[in-house]
Amino acid sequence: MRKQNYRLLLVLLMSIFWMQAQEKTITGTVTDQNNVPLPGVNVVVKETIRGTQTDFDGNYTILASEGEVLVFSYLGQTTAERTVGASNTISLQMQEDAAQLEEVIVVGYGTQSKRTLTDNVVKLTSEDIKEVQNPNFQNALVGKAAGVQITQTNGKVEGGINIRVRGAASISGDSQPLYVVDGIPLSDPLSDNAVFTPGLANPTGNGAPTNPLLTLSANEIESIDILKDASSAAIYGARGANGVVIITTKKGKQGKATFSLNLAQGFSRPTNRREYLNAAEYIELFTEAARNSAAFDTPDEGQTFIENRFDRYAGDTDWRTGQVDTDWQDESFQDGYQTDADFSVSGADAKTSYFFSGAYTNSTGIVRGNELEKAAARINLSHQLTDKFKAGMNLSYSRSEIDRISNDNAFSTPLQAIAQTPLAVPRLPDGTPNNSTQYGNFLFDLDNAFFKTIIRRLTGKAFGEYKFTDYLKINSDFAYDFFSQTEEDYDGLNALFQSTSGQSQATDIYAENYIFSNYLTFDKTFSDKHNVNVVVGTEYNNINRRIGSVTSILFPSDAIPVVSRGAEVTAGTGIRRRSTFLSYFARATYAFDNKYLFKASVRRDGSSRFGKNVRFGTFPSVSAGWILSEEDFLKESKTLSFLKLRASWGQLGNAEIGDYPSRYLFSSFSYNKQGGLAPLQPGNDELTWEKSSQVDIGLEFGLFDGVVSGEIDYYNKETDNLLFALPLPRSGGAATVNTNAGTLVNKGVEVVLNTRNISTENFTWNTSFNISRNDNEITALGNNNADVITGRNILRVGENLNSFYMIEYAGVDSANGDALYFLNTENPDGTLNKATTNNPNEAQRVVVGNPYPEWLGGLTNTINFKNVDFTFTFQGQWGASIFNDAGRFESANGDFYDNQTRDQLNRWQNPGDITDVPQARLFEGNGTARSTRYLDSADFIRLRNISLGYTIPGKALESTGLSKVRIYVSGLNLLTFTSFDAGWDPESTVDFNGPAQPGIAFYSAPPAKTVTLGLNINF
Amino acid sequence: MKIYKKIIVTFLIFTAFACENELEFDPVDNLDGESALSTEENIASVLVGVYEEAGQDDSYGGQLQILVDLLGTTDEVSWNGTFVQPRQAFTKNFLVDNVWVRDVWGNAYEGINQTNLILERLDIITSSAAERDRIEGETRFLRALLYFDLVRNFGLPYEFGEVNDQPGVPLRTTGIIDYLVPLDAARNTVQEVYDLILSDAARAYDILPDSNGFYADKFAAQALLARVYFQQGDYANARDAADDVLTNSGHALADEFRQAFNNDTDGIEDIFAFQVTSQTGFNDLVVHYASEADGGRGDDISIDDEYLDRFDDPNDVRASFTYINPVNDSRLTLKYTSQFANIPTFRIAEMHLIRLESNFREGTAIGLDPLTEINALRARSEAAPLAGPLTEELIFNERQLELAFEGFLIHDIKRVKGNVNALPYNDPTLVFPIPQSEMDTNNLMQQNPGYGG
Repeated sequence: MRKQNYRLLLVLLMSIFWMQAQEKTITGTVTDQNNVPLPGVNVVVKETIRGTQTDFDGNYTILASEGEVLVFSYLGQTTAERTVGASNTISLQMQEDAAQLEEVIVVGYGTQSKRTLTDNVVKLTSEDIKEVQNPNFQNALVGKAAGVQITQTNGKVEGGINIRVRGAASISGDSQPLYVVDGIPLSDPLSDNAVFTPGLANPTGNGAPTNPLLTLSANEIESIDILKDASSAAIYGARGANGVVIITTKKGKQGKATFSLNLAQGFSRPTNRREYLNAAEYIELFTEAARNSAAFDTPDEGQTFIENRFDRYAGDTDWRTGQVDTDWQDESFQDGYQTDADFSVSGADAKTSYFFSGAYTNSTGIVRGNELEKAAARINLSHQLTDKFKAGMNLSYSRSEIDRISNDNAFSTPLQAIAQTPLAVPRLPDGTPNNSTQYGNFLFDLDNAFFKTIIRRLTGKAFGEYKFTDYLKINSDFAYDFFSQTEEDYDGLNALFQSTSGQSQATDIYAENYIFSNYLTFDKTFSDKHNVNVVVGTEYNNINRRIGSVTSILFPSDAIPVVSRGAEVTAGTGIRRRSTFLSYFARATYAFDNKYLFKASVRRDGSSRFGKNVRFGTFPSVSAGWILSEEDFLKESKTLSFLKLRASWGQLGNAEIGDYPSRYLFSSFSYNKQGGLAPLQPGNDELTWEKSSQVDIGLEFGLFDGVVSGEIDYYNKETDNLLFALPLPRSGGAATVNTNAGTLVNKGVEVVLNTRNISTENFTWNTSFNISRNDNEITALGNNNADVITGRNILRVGENLNSFYMIEYAGVDSANGDALYFLNTENPDGTLNKATTNNPNEAQRVVVGNPYPEWLGGLTNTINFKNVDFTFTFQGQWGASIFNDAGRFESANGDFYDNQTRDQLNRWQNPGDITDVPQARLFEGNGTARSTRYLDSADFIRLRNISLGYTIPGKALESTGLSKVRIYVSGLNLLTFTSFDAGWDPESTVDFNGPAQPGIAFYSAPPAKTVTLGLNINF
Repeated sequence: MKIYKKIIVTFLIFTAFACENELEFDPVDNLDGESALSTEENIASVLVGVYEEAGQDDSYGGQLQILVDLLGTTDEVSWNGTFVQPRQAFTKNFLVDNVWVRDVWGNAYEGINQTNLILERLDIITSSAAERDRIEGETRFLRALLYFDLVRNFGLPYEFGEVNDQPGVPLRTTGIIDYLVPLDAARNTVQEVYDLILSDAARAYDILPDSNGFYADKFAAQALLARVYFQQGDYANARDAADDVLTNSGHALADEFRQAFNNDTDGIEDIFAFQVTSQTGFNDLVVHYASEADGGRGDDISIDDEYLDRFDDPNDVRASFTYINPVNDSRLTLKYTSQFANIPTFRIAEMHLIRLESNFREGTAIGLDPLTEINALRARSEAAPLAGPLTEELIFNERQLELAFEGFLIHDIKRVKGNVNALPYNDPTLVFPIPQSEMDTNNLMQQNPGYGG
């Protein structure tokens, strides 16, 4: 595109009048590299103002004289020139621009070629995420990016997603990365986490997080760029410390309009079911437990007692004859299914690019009562108004309707039904739920209660780009993100624990986030060797939320569950929250001769969230790269086709700690309808960013013309001023204070290897492998490095972040069946006393494990043979442990009436028995203290996804008008290899704890394994 | 043209600078701490906040009473519920990470800090001396009540006439605003804690009005004093305090036993009650004592025959103040069947029991002679009068007939130096552990014996 273009319209008119005698009419057809006619190609006579465009069939007509040169230009194609000769016809096949073929990385306020990038950024494309059927698209990224751990909290369809980039970088600040969608940094209106001041926690929801990007559909996404190192993320300053995930939605590509339709139907089951006692085993173990129990004067009294219990649970049935044997997992779980349908229409000519899409998902979860239905639509439109001014808009809206179930810590969650005795029937003969189970029967809620959440989200961006010259432009973006969530939580007249004739809670949250960003870009190459790119800009971000909730009771009928039909209003909440960010940023890159690459950036961020003395922070970064393969001594090498060394350093912040974490606040607490005031949280005027500094050294290489390519990176990330809620002595009157204290180091190595194993016309086989090791260690803590203990997790200098800290189980005293614990008191010589005790209060806690994995790996193979395509990904992780807090109940050698895992049958029975399961003793807590008995290694390897497709040959489609038809079958989580046994699945953890207590499981649902049949049609 | 462009660029780039003052604003749904403590109206509201705090389910909302009763019981009730924290009290087997115990501790100290913040700012109250006295008196009443339940649950028993230098709980008497400084505090002796309780309660008695709505009045403070002296074994003072309440407060026994319970507003018998409405307040007693139909968990705490065996007269209405939950055939108390009812904390029946036992032990007959008084109390419940002579055992038994499930049991046993199964009254197992979280954060804290280091 040259200067002339901006007068294009004028030219078209005037050229008609400037015909001269020696000119002749040239005609021709322009096609692309696939011989498809290209409409909208600019055809200009060089050094004149004469020009035209090709029509819809790629044809053009222009007047030119012999010897003049025609210039053909088209976005994404190499500009071509043809000299007019004797012929009156000049047809042309254009070639794709080689520079465009290079992978383009979205880096925040701009793009950069992967080749000249000096940062570590992983790019995943729509190819990587398609056909992994799950309502949460992040699940498709698992195992594909080195050093990035992605887990869904548990197997509920709307469940929260944790993404940890290069280890956990924060103690209790939000563990979510910053999501940037088309340049809009999204805020999560539901992220207020309860760890920071329960009184300020978001009162919506059921205590469990939801995926903040639930509303986004995979078919809208063109690419996902994960900025891993500080140098790349530093342009997001105070919000980049957990990594930045940049999502770019699809745009129209030049050429004919394409219509694409995808249909898929999936079927799901839990990845695992555990073995629990059947009725006969339950009777055996609990009779024994009651006979052994000191709670009764004689064994027979114990037996009589427990048999009364059996009678009670058995109801009208006879447990002695084994009439009932309920596997409550059959009640908790169900067969899930998911239906997906989406379409898109896209296209572009030289001036206007458009993309429309719509997507629909209906997903029934593997846990009873858990469903999700969502619909989303998007339009991305941009138009070149003049050759200098481009403007456009991206707009998406979505509606997600979720049937939620209780969080893991409630009797009403179906997963806790596994605690029920197998002697009890789930339902009575008349179909109503059995009310004589030992715990509340969740079926009452399934039948008589609902918790419906509807999220409506509208996200849009209007943008303009004005080119002053071909090297200087200004971009102005105004983005608006509107999030509305309405919840209706109704417990009907016969719901579980319902005593008020029904209760209805209606909650609304409205969040508005607007972002105004403006930036200037200068991009110029001097003397063909010096490429300079400078970006300078500002951004203002304002997030407002309004939350309202009303609760009422005493309903005349379940048929009118809306909140206004309750006779008495018992609670109301009105909350307003606001936070603002103001940022200035600049970035400069310089490349010399395409070999020596330099980059520096700085961002200055201010936020209302931080203490009044420390509102602003500055986040710099520098990086450099050297493409050795461009040097003369390597240029000719056939073996080493590409070699780049790069190094970077930068600083980032983490600001995700709620809206008013630094303020000393009182809140209102009413007492008998009188307004009262009480402290809500202590203040800290010095509370500021968590600051992480990261060094990254990387090597990128390509061998044998790219047959083998890869990257090796070493990083060292040091997070200072760790933001967390420091536990206080409760005797001071407050539980925690938000502080910056301590330093955490994550360092590690990442290796990525891609190979093109076979590459022939009919057969290609590519392999992509990544593995990473991360070591994390706390190197300093405030308060003279004193330990900070939260539940079963500890912060201790020299140990992993949030290490497990608990007493150590020592097995069973073979003489009497007592559970034993190691004393672990310190001997005078500093060693630990490994003598044992049967009193858990006497045993000292020790560090016993890491909640975060040390090794992460992924292996993806993609094979195409003629019309068949086949791809699969294995994922693995090693080094993490999970503590099953429910073990105290479900693997407790018959301590209470809870049904037990089947391994409890190995209990100690007679003196001399050697086993790990203590003697069964009802009510005595023999071995039920929280100890390493319930801690297990969570190493696993999983066949994460697998897909087999067949594309119907083009010839067969000729008569149908379709350009492509493909059918496929795919699977998610089909195989898992693990020795983990402290819960259903090594990736499932509780959904009611904050991030400060990772690695804890408590009746946490396993993920789904899904088999999908699908169909893609393009025309 | 050039100027036009420059204006656009300058405008866009500098728009941001105009936003800098947008970083400074106050929250609109919570109050800045300094303002909360700076006006008379706000201080009065902070006092209301202490009632709310102390009335939470963590303490007087129910969990405190349940722990106290389960720790004292042997075979008269059963804990059938699923919560492990009360189960540990029931089996006399506390673990140091028991969160009910932690929350009793934490909740009491939150309330105590709030009382300290008020007591340091009494100067702000200038509208009248009476208002200032009311605020100070209520605050001291609440602080004394909170410390009393801390010291008798977390420390070994008070031994009358002995040197009570066994560890009590840390006495914090200054309000904490700055939580960034070290907050370690050692345990004061049991005697020191009782001294503060008595001085606070006595001061409250001196300055509080005779009646004060549903807030604490003069006689609430006197009733607290009676209970504290009684716990100490100082029967003469206990008797006189109880006598004052019985004679001068205007409170009296309700006509019928049932009228003392499940009240939405304070009844004639209530000297002081924590207030619960459908919108505010907590009643965890209903959660754990009531049937599902009444808002409870069904049979978390069921009554066994051994309790009913205590009744010498089958016509005693207190003996039949139970019901069978049809869902599980468990026997439950009728004391807690309304989930939005107030929680009686001091009722007049307790004052009768304190006065009669104190008179009995002191050999006096101030107010009434003990046998007449016990029979008067029994008469309200249609129980046949005792013929006499009275014994300690009969009086102890009468307390259990009248006050069961109201949070008295373990402290009655400790006061009379009884046993819980084989455990003597001063066994460390019958003392709450200092919460693990306090041990982890307070370097000066000392754990109770039997709970590790």
